[in-house]
Amino acid sequence: MFGQMDWQGQKLAEQLVQIMLVSFAVMALLVGYALESFQSMMLIYAGGVALTTLITAPNWPFFNRHPLNWLDQSEAVKHPKPKLLRT
Amino acid sequence: MHSFGYRANALLTFAVTILALMCAMASLSDNLNSPSPTSQVQVLNINWFQKKLDGDDEVSMTLNVSANLESLFTWNTKQVFVFLAAEYETPKNSLNQVSLWDGIIPAKEHAKFWIHTTNKYRFIDQGSNLRGREFNLTLHWHIMPKTGKMFADKIVMSGYRLPDAYR
Repeated sequence: MFGQMDWQGQKLAEQLVQIMLVSFAVMALLVGYALESFQSMMLIYAGGVALTTLITAPNWPFFNRHPLNWLDQSEAVKHPKPKLLRT
Repeated sequence: MHSFGYRANALLTFAVTILALMCAMASLSDNLNSPSPTSQVQVLNINWFQKKLDGDDEVSMTLNVSANLESLFTWNTKQVFVFLAAEYETPKNSLNQVSLWDGIIPAKEHAKFWIHTTNKYRFIDQGSNLRGREFNLTLHWHIMPKTGKMFADKIVMSGYRLPDAYR
């Protein structure tokens, strides 16, 4: 189920972390202040951290939609590295 | 951001940093509060008033302390510590402060109160200066936050006077 994450996926994961955590923090602060409940702020934020971890930490398939196709070994053999001429 | 462990670590570190900022904001929000506390103290009785064997004056009194400290509480208040101090001047000391009573108010619901009690802590002078002494009773409080800055303030109630003679 869990493969690699490609470069585009890593960028997406990092953006998601930043956006989600800041959004949950702002939301938690506003809700907590409005309801006069410190506990509400902490619970909303904790939930946000958990959700963010769930979405961004594992190597989900949607993070691997632009995989890099490395050249196959058999093909590479057919194209040897050019030799350096004496400079 | 290559592996699960790397991402989880970066995410959690960022999350904790943001948490610290949230706590700072919560503490700053306390400055938006403008409290309007009130209090009143009656000295109901001077139970006794003696010069101790070591030469220091001591007085025992029954007090009725009533106060409304509800406006001190914010969403970021853990508890309010309140104490009542007798304050007076003597020839030797420009300010004497003796704590007579204290209490902890855990929530806004308990912040409007009255208490009828003898002084919880002994009112002992440094010397023998209390006869006929005029004094203030000052209610001090510390608003202890859940996170951040603690605010302290007081209400001074004046016009109290101890008896001229021991009893």
